[in-house]
Amino acid sequence: MAQDFEESGSNLTTFSDSLLLERALEGDTASFDALFYRHYDRVYGLLFRLVGARDEAEDLTQEVFLKLYRQRFAKGKSHNVGGWLYRVAMNAGYNAIRGRKRRWQRDTVLLPDPSELPSSPGERVTQQEERADVRRALRQLPEKQVQLLLLRQMGMSYAELATACEVAPTSVGTLLRRASEAFRSVYEEIAKE
Amino acid sequence: MGQEYERDELVDGVVERLAPLAPRREEAPRPPGQMLAQLKNQVEAKTSRPTWWRMQDMLNRKFAFGAVLALLLVIILAFSPVRAAASEFLGLFRVQKFAAISVSPSQLAMLERISQEGLYPGELEIISEPGEPQLLGSLEEAASVSGYTVRTVTTLGSPSAIRFSEGAQGRLTIDLAGARAILRLADVDPTLLPDSLDGADVDVTIYPTIEQEWGQEVVLVQTESPLVDYPADVEPAVLGEALLRFLGMTPSEAHRLARNIDWTNTLLLPVPENLATFSEVRVNGVSGLGLSSLDGQGSSVMWEKDGIVFLLTGNGMSLDALREIANAVK
Repeated sequence: MAQDFEESGSNLTTFSDSLLLERALEGDTASFDALFYRHYDRVYGLLFRLVGARDEAEDLTQEVFLKLYRQRFAKGKSHNVGGWLYRVAMNAGYNAIRGRKRRWQRDTVLLPDPSELPSSPGERVTQQEERADVRRALRQLPEKQVQLLLLRQMGMSYAELATACEVAPTSVGTLLRRASEAFRSVYEEIAKE
Repeated sequence: MGQEYERDELVDGVVERLAPLAPRREEAPRPPGQMLAQLKNQVEAKTSRPTWWRMQDMLNRKFAFGAVLALLLVIILAFSPVRAAASEFLGLFRVQKFAAISVSPSQLAMLERISQEGLYPGELEIISEPGEPQLLGSLEEAASVSGYTVRTVTTLGSPSAIRFSEGAQGRLTIDLAGARAILRLADVDPTLLPDSLDGADVDVTIYPTIEQEWGQEVVLVQTESPLVDYPADVEPAVLGEALLRFLGMTPSEAHRLARNIDWTNTLLLPVPENLATFSEVRVNGVSGLGLSSLDGQGSSVMWEKDGIVFLLTGNGMSLDALREIANAVK
């Protein structure tokens, strides 16, 4: 598929998401590939931060793009592809976490939940604890706030955040501050434990 | 306005706090081209044969569970007393902790398949057999023949029967090809088992067992924690990872979990989900495992305390009722 993209002849990288989607809907696989390449890292990054496991984040990323591939978007209209992808990714991530917890509780007993474990034996305990604490705090926040904070952490500008989170650009600052206050308050409680 | 507008100390502080969540180098995803190719394959596969695709995926997982049971059964059957099965499984430790994982009925079917295929992880040599259980006259006698302090259920009065079984010893000489064939059949990467395992000897020692009965209702079995010696170059976490893959976990889950379980003392017990439910129970201040049969036939509690492994079974009893009895084992 990467090949399709390279051989397409057009410089698809300059096309807007909406235009690429329009072309993809008409069956242009190179346009779909371009969308994939454009958003893959960020969708994965968001999902990894949410679920904390590489394989799972990869699977979920695939799932998100599979949904994009199958989604019947209305033709001839402008679409916020990034916003759609991050929203679907958030849903997929939260579903996976909930499903994992349910499965784990149902299927095992007295085994540590792998989602709370370090990724490698060499990982420092402090880092493992730090990740676990941060995730615990995030789980107590509304999904919208989590999305905003994580995407900001991934380096998105306020303008990008407005698009990705589908909010008015003028309200991004306020929403981010509110989310940060909520996080800080929960995190401080956790840190005291 | 742009840059300045985006500066907010509180937000920046929180963003910094979130930084550890970012994937590290070894957590980076596979290259996008590879993932895209996989996505396309998935689209094609789902389009052309959705039912088969889903079924295959499901079966692969279930087979993995069954294969573990196959391995278990081989070991369990080799040592005759079923009650000691829990202590014999995994065989690479002294039991101090219990953990459980559920197994579906179709995964159990894999057991039969492996059995039919005649696959074994190695040659088992019974060095000494436990022999027939002998009836004893008293708990004092039981203590004398077993060599350890025998606990009893203080609230149930004298047991109606006390039996003693000698210890047993066995040696499993690992046949790497056989062990890997089992893994392969379960769709688990056979190279998880290192080459160094081939021909390695695993020595299992089962200590004398005391069994007490109260009518047909309550049975308490106790034994010193079985001991398994394995070669120094065998890494229990590696075998544990193979086992967890057997149990249907994803490679990454199995890898991470295997390194966080103390395989030298944790007994992982696969429980058929159509037969019993399980939960953690506290018994005499320690953590144990409770099992309840789904058909209401009874329940069991197992725990380890002060080097002795206990298995308490209550016919027709609820787990709650049995736990009370377990707490009266002194």
